[in-house]
Amino acid sequence: MKTDFRRVVIIGYGKATGEILKYTADRRADYSYTLEFIEHEPHALSVTKQICEERGIPFASLPDKRELGDYFGKIQEKTLIVSASNNFLFPAALVERKNITIINFHNALLPDYPGRNAPSWVIYRGETRTGITWHYVTAGVDEGSIIIQKSCEIGSDTKAHELTETLMDLAYEGFCECFDGVLQENAEARPQGFSPERRMYRSSEIPGDGFLDINEPPEKLYCLLRSVDYGKSGIFPPLQTEVAGKQAEILRYRKVAPEKKKEGADMLYLPFADGELLKIKYRLL
Amino acid sequence: MEKKVLEVLEEYCEEALDYTGDNMMEEGVIDSFTVINVVSELEDVFDIEIDAKYVVAENFRNKEAIIELVRQLVED
Repeated sequence: MKTDFRRVVIIGYGKATGEILKYTADRRADYSYTLEFIEHEPHALSVTKQICEERGIPFASLPDKRELGDYFGKIQEKTLIVSASNNFLFPAALVERKNITIINFHNALLPDYPGRNAPSWVIYRGETRTGITWHYVTAGVDEGSIIIQKSCEIGSDTKAHELTETLMDLAYEGFCECFDGVLQENAEARPQGFSPERRMYRSSEIPGDGFLDINEPPEKLYCLLRSVDYGKSGIFPPLQTEVAGKQAEILRYRKVAPEKKKEGADMLYLPFADGELLKIKYRLL
Repeated sequence: MEKKVLEVLEEYCEEALDYTGDNMMEEGVIDSFTVINVVSELEDVFDIEIDAKYVVAENFRNKEAIIELVRQLVED
């Protein structure tokens, strides 16, 4: 198989990145590119370093944006940069270089939900479907032409971390399907059609502005709670609330059957319309 | 307490029960998404808070390490 790309650089974190690393490492036998991995955002449970060690992939940890920019700036060969679950914004000068092609995985069906934390926003807005998009990177955020998309359903109990896991699997699946086309430069990409209402979600934005109003219907509260639930990853600060006039923060929540109700300190049980209960554990501040 | 921890693992990561090594994360027995579910369930079952600083590969290297983590947090 033939490609003019001499070098493939993977940047990102998480499950999809790990799988893509393994896949691109195995495909070195089909194309004679060199492969390397860059960790820009270290993660406590990441296993990408180990994958690199096992498969002889050069590993570089570059948490500093300027250092990372310099690293990319020095690339001379024709290079494909694969950005998978990566929050580094590639500078326009890099994106426009002839010898560099960048593809990015976005965790929503572009042109909808561009920007950060898309899984949270689709849950918060009550969407029933979402998906992933692999697209070419241009100077604008999440604006490049679409190479491939994969979609999935959003269940009524789906939490942000569960949806993220599903999207990571789809991202890997989509990557495998389009990798040859991208390397051989014959992938069919279509431009995104932008509507005037297109809204960019920023990292500083939190669903519900980070406040859980316990006077709202439990169905709405459950939606908000699920939308910011990434376990302990700290993507969002704990939701704030007010209980009996006192400020509090949410520790955890769960949907429970009425017979499972166990009274406890700093605990609320709010009834859903279907009879189940929304259990919320909080801490007074 | 140990029994309850094992029940949680059985629900979310049955392979962890038979695992005898000391690095479940690296060996692919448990992944970061399963850890989120296990942590959430342990917090609920034991009414404890497992701070993010404890959610590291070392504390999820095998079932014994998870039991020890919970034991410490329950005793605190």
